[in-house]
Amino acid sequence: MRELFLDEGIEDRVLDDLRHLWESKMMQSKALEDFRKNNINSSNFVLQLPASYTHNDQDMTVKARTTFNKVSASVVIPTSQKVQSYPVKTTSETVATFSLPAGLTYPVQIPAGVTLQTASGQLYKVNVPVVVTQAPAGQQPLTHPAPKVPQSQMLHIRVSTAPVQKDPPMISNAAVSQATAVTLPPKTNTAPIQEPVLPPQPPTPPTPPTPQIDVEDEDILETPSPELETKTEDCDQPLNLSMNPSPAHVLDFQMNANTTDIDDLLKEVIEKEREKVRYLDPTKADDDLGLDLDYGALADIVQLDGAADNSEEEVGALEENDFLGMINAEAIRALQEGDSDGLSSSSDSDGAEDELAHVEDEDPLNSGDDVVEQDIPNLFDTENVIVCQYDKIHRSKNRWKFHLKDGVMTYGGRDYVFSKAVGEAEW
Amino acid sequence: MAYQLYRNTTLGNSLQESLDELIQTQQITPQLALQVLLQFDKAINTALANRVRNRVNFRGSLNTYRFCDNVWTFVLNDVEFREVTDLVKVDKVKIVACDGKNTSNAAE
Repeated sequence: MRELFLDEGIEDRVLDDLRHLWESKMMQSKALEDFRKNNINSSNFVLQLPASYTHNDQDMTVKARTTFNKVSASVVIPTSQKVQSYPVKTTSETVATFSLPAGLTYPVQIPAGVTLQTASGQLYKVNVPVVVTQAPAGQQPLTHPAPKVPQSQMLHIRVSTAPVQKDPPMISNAAVSQATAVTLPPKTNTAPIQEPVLPPQPPTPPTPPTPQIDVEDEDILETPSPELETKTEDCDQPLNLSMNPSPAHVLDFQMNANTTDIDDLLKEVIEKEREKVRYLDPTKADDDLGLDLDYGALADIVQLDGAADNSEEEVGALEENDFLGMINAEAIRALQEGDSDGLSSSSDSDGAEDELAHVEDEDPLNSGDDVVEQDIPNLFDTENVIVCQYDKIHRSKNRWKFHLKDGVMTYGGRDYVFSKAVGEAEW
Repeated sequence: MAYQLYRNTTLGNSLQESLDELIQTQQITPQLALQVLLQFDKAINTALANRVRNRVNFRGSLNTYRFCDNVWTFVLNDVEFREVTDLVKVDKVKIVACDGKNTSNAAE
């Protein structure tokens, strides 16, 4: 594909971006979760530069973490069995796969072309091979590399091992959306990993320890791409690469960081909706005591689950009590009517009772219709899909037999593959 | 020409989305994206044919079937997919199958 891209005059970097995007999306979909589970044992941490897409199917197995940015850190963890490890060559054309044990047996080499993003939002485009070494605990992070990495140099990234927790505050500090990749598994470290270290973190003192990555320059191999996206800000801020083989953590982490803003938005929207409802609903309106007259008419508008809209007004409170009584047994209803604050409210509740009873009767009927309606349109929409080729489809009366081949199944968000599938079904 | 059938998988969809993003940021042309997808088609077809070597059995009840333009589309309910290693149960699954015979290979 590189040739095609080059023909168009596009830089290699764009192709790498595409691959990063693709892989990050794959990881987001959790379609390849199986490989991660295998990784906990095999603990392989792989960065890949596929030269062609033919390799991608097998190579894109697992990622420890990805970011949501266009320029994202792609860390791929393949299974120990299925990974095809290619020799590390000096050209950028090859597929270079390394095995980085998630159990943190450093040093680790990261090939060129990988873009790493730290928790603080700094972007580091690794245009040269990077070696991640294990630094002794407590070591201060070194100064970050200069934005321009001269050619034929290798970056050394030191990782001081420490268990990493998800850290939404830190992520929120990041200018861009998510923080990075690798949370060290606290429990699965089998290699001689150092005990958790609390590196000093200026922005968030209460944050749990995170691995520090010191990037150094050394002399080596490949030629970086002409453009660099590295943004180096404070030299004191450590790079945080968190390796997390467990998918749940990754997803929760990402979801946390991703939804902080979304939650705020949702809350705002909900608040606005509630205000509208309150505004529109005269029963919740302020000082109008003549609401009793409208009470019966509004009964069908008011929610059956009246407790949901708590109103500060007495009228609202009375409504809730009345509704709850109606929904419960009649005896309770009678008790509640006796307990209600005023005769007027009780009389109105009687009027509202009938209407509510009406509404309650209608809903089961409607819901019955709804079930039938929804059946057909959704039939082809949300279920799991198998895409394959058929060898033979056979039918006898109402018994069907399927001979399928070369298929990809999506189920439960995960992908499965088969070379042959044989099935039976009755219609 | 290989089947474009596999573009509607997680792999294919994520690739298409990535390509769309790149197109939106003007980093690639739509023509190039199309070339990428064609290459993807070839690659996925080759990979599935050559690299995958497992077999699955399944059993369920057929809800609907459709055969149009040499493409079978089934919807099965309460299906059990059985592989040597494990078993997966699914309430509903849609199967889209193109003709697997060698001679008739065409784009979707």
